[in-house]
Amino acid sequence: MNELFSRVIRVQWSGLLAVCILAVLALTIVSPNFLSEYNAFVFLRSLCVSLLVAYSQMVMLGVGQMNLSIGALGGLVAVIVGGLMDAWGVPTLPAIAIALAAGGVAGLVNGWLTVRTGINGFIVTLATGSAFAGINLGITKAIPFYNLPADFVAFGNGRLGPIPNLLIVPLIVSVLLVVFFSRTVTGRHMLAVGGNSHAAELSGLSPNKAIIEAHALSGLLAAAAGILAVAQLGSAQPSIGADWLIISFAAPIIGGASLAGGSISITGTLLAVVLIGLIQNAMVLLQVDPYWVTFLLGALILAAVWLNRYRAVRVGED
Amino acid sequence: MGLLVEQASKSFPGVRALSNASLELADGEIHALMGENGAGKSTLIKIITGVHRPDGGRLLLHGEEVAFHAPREAINRGIAAVHQERNLIPRFSVAENLMLERLPTSRGLVDFAAVEREARKMLELVGLDIDPRIEVRRLSVAQMQMVEIAKALGHRARVLLLDEPTASISDNEAESLFRLVRQLKAQGTAILFVSHKLEEVLSLCDRVTVLRDGETTLAGASMKGMARGDLIEAMIGRKDRAVVARHRSVAANPVVFEARGVATAFGHRDIDLTLRKGEILGLYGLVGAGRTELARALIGKDKVTSGEVRIKDQPVRIRSVEQAIRQHRLGYVSEDRKFEGVILAHPIRSNIASTVWNRIAAALGFITAKREDRVAMPLATQLEIRTPNLDQLAGNLSGGNQQKVSLAKWLAAEVDVLIIDEPTVGIDIKTKGYFHELITGLADGGLSIILVSSDMPEMVALADRILVMHDKRIVAGFDNSHDYDTVSRSIMAAIHAQSGESVEKPGQAMADATA
Amino acid sequence: MTVQEPIAAPSSKWSLSGLLLRGSTQFGLLVILVVMWVVLSSIAPGFLSRFNLNSLGRSVAIDIVIGFAQMVVLATGGMNLAVGAIGICSVMAFGYLLQVLGLPIPVAIAATLLMGAAMGWLNGIAIVRTGVNSFVVTLASASLFSGAMLILTRAVPYNALPPAIGEFGKAAVGPVPALLIVAVAIGIALYVLFRHTVLGRELLAVGASERAAQMSGVPVGRTITIAHVLSGMLAAAAAMMLTARLAAAMPSVAGDDWLLPSFLAPVIGGTALAGGAVSVIGTVLGALLVSTIRSGLLILQVGNFWLPLFLGAFLLAAILLERYRALLVQRHRTRNA
Repeated sequence: MNELFSRVIRVQWSGLLAVCILAVLALTIVSPNFLSEYNAFVFLRSLCVSLLVAYSQMVMLGVGQMNLSIGALGGLVAVIVGGLMDAWGVPTLPAIAIALAAGGVAGLVNGWLTVRTGINGFIVTLATGSAFAGINLGITKAIPFYNLPADFVAFGNGRLGPIPNLLIVPLIVSVLLVVFFSRTVTGRHMLAVGGNSHAAELSGLSPNKAIIEAHALSGLLAAAAGILAVAQLGSAQPSIGADWLIISFAAPIIGGASLAGGSISITGTLLAVVLIGLIQNAMVLLQVDPYWVTFLLGALILAAVWLNRYRAVRVGED
Repeated sequence: MGLLVEQASKSFPGVRALSNASLELADGEIHALMGENGAGKSTLIKIITGVHRPDGGRLLLHGEEVAFHAPREAINRGIAAVHQERNLIPRFSVAENLMLERLPTSRGLVDFAAVEREARKMLELVGLDIDPRIEVRRLSVAQMQMVEIAKALGHRARVLLLDEPTASISDNEAESLFRLVRQLKAQGTAILFVSHKLEEVLSLCDRVTVLRDGETTLAGASMKGMARGDLIEAMIGRKDRAVVARHRSVAANPVVFEARGVATAFGHRDIDLTLRKGEILGLYGLVGAGRTELARALIGKDKVTSGEVRIKDQPVRIRSVEQAIRQHRLGYVSEDRKFEGVILAHPIRSNIASTVWNRIAAALGFITAKREDRVAMPLATQLEIRTPNLDQLAGNLSGGNQQKVSLAKWLAAEVDVLIIDEPTVGIDIKTKGYFHELITGLADGGLSIILVSSDMPEMVALADRILVMHDKRIVAGFDNSHDYDTVSRSIMAAIHAQSGESVEKPGQAMADATA
Repeated sequence: MTVQEPIAAPSSKWSLSGLLLRGSTQFGLLVILVVMWVVLSSIAPGFLSRFNLNSLGRSVAIDIVIGFAQMVVLATGGMNLAVGAIGICSVMAFGYLLQVLGLPIPVAIAATLLMGAAMGWLNGIAIVRTGVNSFVVTLASASLFSGAMLILTRAVPYNALPPAIGEFGKAAVGPVPALLIVAVAIGIALYVLFRHTVLGRELLAVGASERAAQMSGVPVGRTITIAHVLSGMLAAAAAMMLTARLAAAMPSVAGDDWLLPSFLAPVIGGTALAGGAVSVIGTVLGALLVSTIRSGLLILQVGNFWLPLFLGAFLLAAILLERYRALLVQRHRTRNA
């Protein structure tokens, strides 16, 4: 029992899981509405976009970089998919495919600029983020696309009991990412570069290649988040993505990722998104000022960072 | 013939690191590469491993001329190096680190069973008995080193460079390393073994090449019949480098700095030292003895965990470098010139004045270049810092001039006690002599100096008294007779007595050590 | 032992590479600005109208101070993502102090500055004490600060400020808006700070090499904290200037919108993200460039929607040009060595 316990606390996300379980229990007791089918649906649906956004940043942290353009990229892809379907009448699936490809290309641009110019990735993605937002606003003049195909909107609103259809996307992505980072050569090489870029290079890996690949993957995930957001809202709002910055960093960091790179946790990130979703849901159920979410998010990041340090010292890491 | 370096030269701004150095490394031999710090060993290794390109000379591998542009090219040609800094991914398993660049896959996914299988074979090859699934960060330094050797061999290396492999591992661990190296030799690998430790070189290696100031002073000489003295002489060439040493009498001067039973978080125990006014107290030790770490604790960078530090007979607690300078007039010239000694991106004047900004500022902390110059200019002149003006960035100076700036800032601070750590590493021979005169001159002027050095001739020439450090303790202390042979023998004896090797004990040194 | 000579002019004849070598980043920026002004005023006569210049002057003033707020932290090699959050907190605090408490204007200004400083101090302390990266700490504190402000004020604007505030926002000395004078005065103070004070030197020393600074006895932790205190005060100052310009305290005008401009002005102006070097004049020119692009797009009726695209592209172009220049200088130096 004792050994089991000590093994559990060694797992990075164990504390997070405990907090999530406690939060669910507390909410169930305090608010009978929490477990109602509709609230469960609303809660689960709120996780979908956030999860993809968080993964998009997590991939970058894995390779030791960051991407400030995730929100702008997602917003741009959102209006691309909306525009394709509304203004150009492109059917749903091709539109989604084109939009995803656009996200991947935008990610490649980020990666290529970072590697080729040697400019700090922070500044590069700050600049490209601004550029993506500019293209978005320039095309749409801030006017959303409303006339989306019925099947697309229906999928976005559909549910099976409390389970939203949309949830299937982040769930599949989660599984794929676990496989990618634990079992594929590309994924392992990304983490190796994030963990010790110099050593990876001396082993014959190419850090530049890993960084470009990570940016492309990050772009794809941000694009998927943008498309999901359109499906969820039923319209392609140019403002999609504007508020993704904090959550994109908060979830992976709360989930145990280190800004130094090479250390990420998909389960941790997932649990962090769940926890943030629970807080948001609680604010609604308890009719608390929703502004508390912003405040608590900040507190949560600080607490997580501090706890991670404390745990690392206790377990004797680093 | 395995590897041949012919007449290699390499210059860096302000210093000629290698001039016409040669090395002849045969298959199936263990070849020692020796030399003082800054003699050009690492430059030579970097040329062989493709990190640097030589300015002149050529490189022949198995009789064929090669030119490497990147480390990868050298690796592909079967040259592997185990560097002093660890080059493993800490959070990855041993197995994955070993196989990192050629992870086996089945159906597109990494086949970890195969990775482990292969890794076990590679670990067996070096006789390392650890679970390959363990994360690298949980290994000891010696184990990591073995993993790196295993990895190098996994690249099917025919030429293996080991850069100070025993610097940070225990004697037992070193023994098993030597066994492995001998075994590799028997299999025909050409091994270049870089080390400071005379004993292990004498017992392990077949031939030796010694570098001094970038030149080859011993080229592939056979180890048979070689004595320690021969190696030392080749490394330091004391005949043509004899520094005129003076006997200075400081024994009657008052004690200005004292440590009593000091222990540190780094692992120092029972450190006692006494520094008198105007004295140069030498602190000698091999790499890893804990000299620099002790200096850092004394100036408040790291923690003194127990014991007492007294300055001018008052017990003091120094918690920060800032406090050491401002309150106790205690300074430290770092061994790490480029990252701690000077701010490369800032001008000379600001570097020199950085210790006294608060003192030279007018009301409200107002300071001008002129005010800085008032402090910096006389020192730049005194230390002959060669620069057109004090606006010059420290990063544009040669190593020797950077070191002068690093020293000048403490003279500006008018410290009473100055710890000088490896003042002449990587500095050309002429400037070295200048520094030696300068340090003696400063002591004559009343500055009390703790000289930390692993440069034996420097120690013998400058110190009034020498403390020998080994494994984080002071193991001997004696007055310096300035006679190179006796002093160097005493120092080595003190170190080896601690290592448990049987060496004749020079009585005087040991008697003093326990005092 | 040779000492490298300072970079000499490669040739006396006028050439692009020669100009790049001799000139500084700031000089290059100035040239670009002049060209832009000449072009803009020739194709759009309205650009040089008194009205347009006045509006440009008032907006650039605020951009400058926002840039300064980031610059002082960049000097130490850190960054402050909470500049915007401190900004909105200060906007609302200023409005509250004036409208609800009815404090005299000077008292309200002092109190707001103090609050900005306090928020900066919290950032600094958190960074120094925990040793956590400034990026993460200020990301979190930005959320904390703006969350707290929204909870307390419910984001309701303060519209009934003393008229003097709005009047000051519109005031001008001759053709120069009063807000711009404030920004320039702050700029001069910062120039003196970095150029001629112990604190300025310590900030830059910490940014250039934390270890070397510490080894020279610079109190690194205290210096980093002070940088954040300064950053908080400057963000508060920018917030009050914004309040004056709008004659109202509105929470929606600051916040996330400040993130990009806060980095744009200093980074375009030649302040290194790695720390250790700042350019006050460069930051002013960088802000001027941003405002010129914005104003030019408006006057050319391209519309504000494309603005972010131009800003992003320009940021990249500016840094690339600077890299290229540095490379030229380095090559030149190697050749001469």
